[in-house]
Amino acid sequence: MADGAQTQQAWDRAGILSLFDPSTGTLDRRVLADEALYRLEMERIFARGWNFICHDSQIPEPGDYVVNYIGEDQVICARDEEGQVHVLLNTCRHRGNALCRAEQGRAKSFVCSYHGWNYALDGKLIGVPGQKAYYRDDLDRTRLGLHKARAENYLGFWFATLDPEAPRLRDYLGDVGRTGLGMICAHGEVEVVDGIQKNVIACNWKIAVDNLFDWYHVPYSHGSANTAGFLDIARILHPKNQMVMLGEYGHAIGGPGIPKELQAQIDGMSDAEREAASRAQADTGLRIRPRAAVELMGPTGVRSMGHPNIFPNLWITLGGLQMCLRLPRGPNHTELWWYTFVPKGAPAEFRRRVVRQAAHVFGPAGLLEQDDGENWSQSTRASHGAVSRRLGHHISMGLGHDEARPAGDGSGAYVESVIGEHGQRWLYRAWTEWMAAADWAELEANHSRPPLGTV
Amino acid sequence: MATLDRSRPDAAALDRMLLQHEVEQFLYAEAALLDARRYRDWLALLADDVHYWMPIRRTMTSAELDREFTRLGDMAYFDDDREMLEMRVRKLEAGSAWSEDPPSRSRHFVSNVRILETAGDEVTVEACFHLYRSRLERDIDNWVGRRVDVLRRTPDGLRIASRHLFLDQTIILATNMSTIF
Repeated sequence: MADGAQTQQAWDRAGILSLFDPSTGTLDRRVLADEALYRLEMERIFARGWNFICHDSQIPEPGDYVVNYIGEDQVICARDEEGQVHVLLNTCRHRGNALCRAEQGRAKSFVCSYHGWNYALDGKLIGVPGQKAYYRDDLDRTRLGLHKARAENYLGFWFATLDPEAPRLRDYLGDVGRTGLGMICAHGEVEVVDGIQKNVIACNWKIAVDNLFDWYHVPYSHGSANTAGFLDIARILHPKNQMVMLGEYGHAIGGPGIPKELQAQIDGMSDAEREAASRAQADTGLRIRPRAAVELMGPTGVRSMGHPNIFPNLWITLGGLQMCLRLPRGPNHTELWWYTFVPKGAPAEFRRRVVRQAAHVFGPAGLLEQDDGENWSQSTRASHGAVSRRLGHHISMGLGHDEARPAGDGSGAYVESVIGEHGQRWLYRAWTEWMAAADWAELEANHSRPPLGTV
Repeated sequence: MATLDRSRPDAAALDRMLLQHEVEQFLYAEAALLDARRYRDWLALLADDVHYWMPIRRTMTSAELDREFTRLGDMAYFDDDREMLEMRVRKLEAGSAWSEDPPSRSRHFVSNVRILETAGDEVTVEACFHLYRSRLERDIDNWVGRRVDVLRRTPDGLRIASRHLFLDQTIILATNMSTIF
């Protein structure tokens, strides 16, 4: 366990901003290990931001619910009889017991197993045993509904925030966040495949998040998948055609990009021609996006074949086939929840192929992810040594060598270059700004806009 | 449950005992191969059409236990054919499978072996398993569950035609599942 001085330290604005130096790419390792910073993250990042909760297709019918988390606050996401979706803290207003103890299900109402308080699907307190006999009718049920998060949806993806001052979800996502979710829907409407893979990695949540922008680690960390013949790294890496998109509030996308000249050729193709070309290169697993994709992803985003992250912790991968939520569980543990998507009403054979492929790549038994977890946990562990933790992490690749340009359709910027660490730097810069701001007003006033010019 | 009358040897009962013994010895030998990391020898015990599957288990209320496990075709932790299992072994042999290098120390326990059905050349076997993994300095993983194997009799001996693994954990309390169950 960390010493008292470390856990007790109160972090002021200057102290927090000093934890990452964007001019050198130096990250203080306490960001990955400090207990007090972790507690502050729960307040200033997770309770403040918009958190992915579920996809429409997970709760199609009235009474359907799933349980998820906003940081360490457990929430129930339920659809009521009118079809409205509510995100409610899973804690009884009487003595705090959890209402739902299953991960998902169907309910008429939520009854507390402690004293039987009964809540409607929208969180209203509708029944209290002994209301008359014991409370003598001296209990205002209207004030004791379940605590409600603000819930909004974009393209069928439900997000929630516990901060009444947060901007609307659409504005929070901005161009880059919307491009990320658009990537999942670029080929049409989708549904979640039944079964969310969940496992715990002994790592700080941010080291898992920043890795999704890291295309430098692929040939080395995942070399064994290449040797085994599972993955042709040379075909997926495109080390010289990398595109990083930087969005407001810390959203970013990093990975291979389709060069402008190639996109110009694609733009000249009909949807039927794109489908035929996709089938011809079926072995890469990537499909050329249809014409309509540009409306969801924007003129620059549509060229991205990389990994979006919706700040703070929602990774979209495999060209929009899967999504991974990284849920913090103390500074040293992270739960990974994997969601897999298929086109709505996809033929069984296609669906089977997609699902098996997804199971083989990521998740705890996935041929790629097996090796990631070990790297992340060792990096986290080495953030606790008295001297080790004084050594910064060096996230300087490409710094000062690239040019950020406006993405052309809003506030986002993009960088086209070789493999670099622009995405990771953007993440940690945003993290310091979120952590240093006392509330949304301060964050709005003091956060970095996507940069233009040399980055 | 059939009981043995020791005074009158019963041919059918003896047959059942021999089969039980044969199946148990096969499963123990297989477990020993995995613990010794003799993956090539292990692959030789698989039928060409093997299906190796571990569905996702969810914490559900008793009213909805029929949805506790994901169904075949939906998401799973393992959903492998022979080609995929060979891929896993090639990865383990690559010399750069970092999650297994240094290698984990594993112990495969198989118990409560029950023959559920014999049909033609196939035997359906239910067993409890406990896979213990010790990794690096202090990492310990314990996976416990129920397993249903279909073993097929071939001229070369028994072969695993399918293995369905039903874990007792819902959230997997491990960094990865880089070992073979």
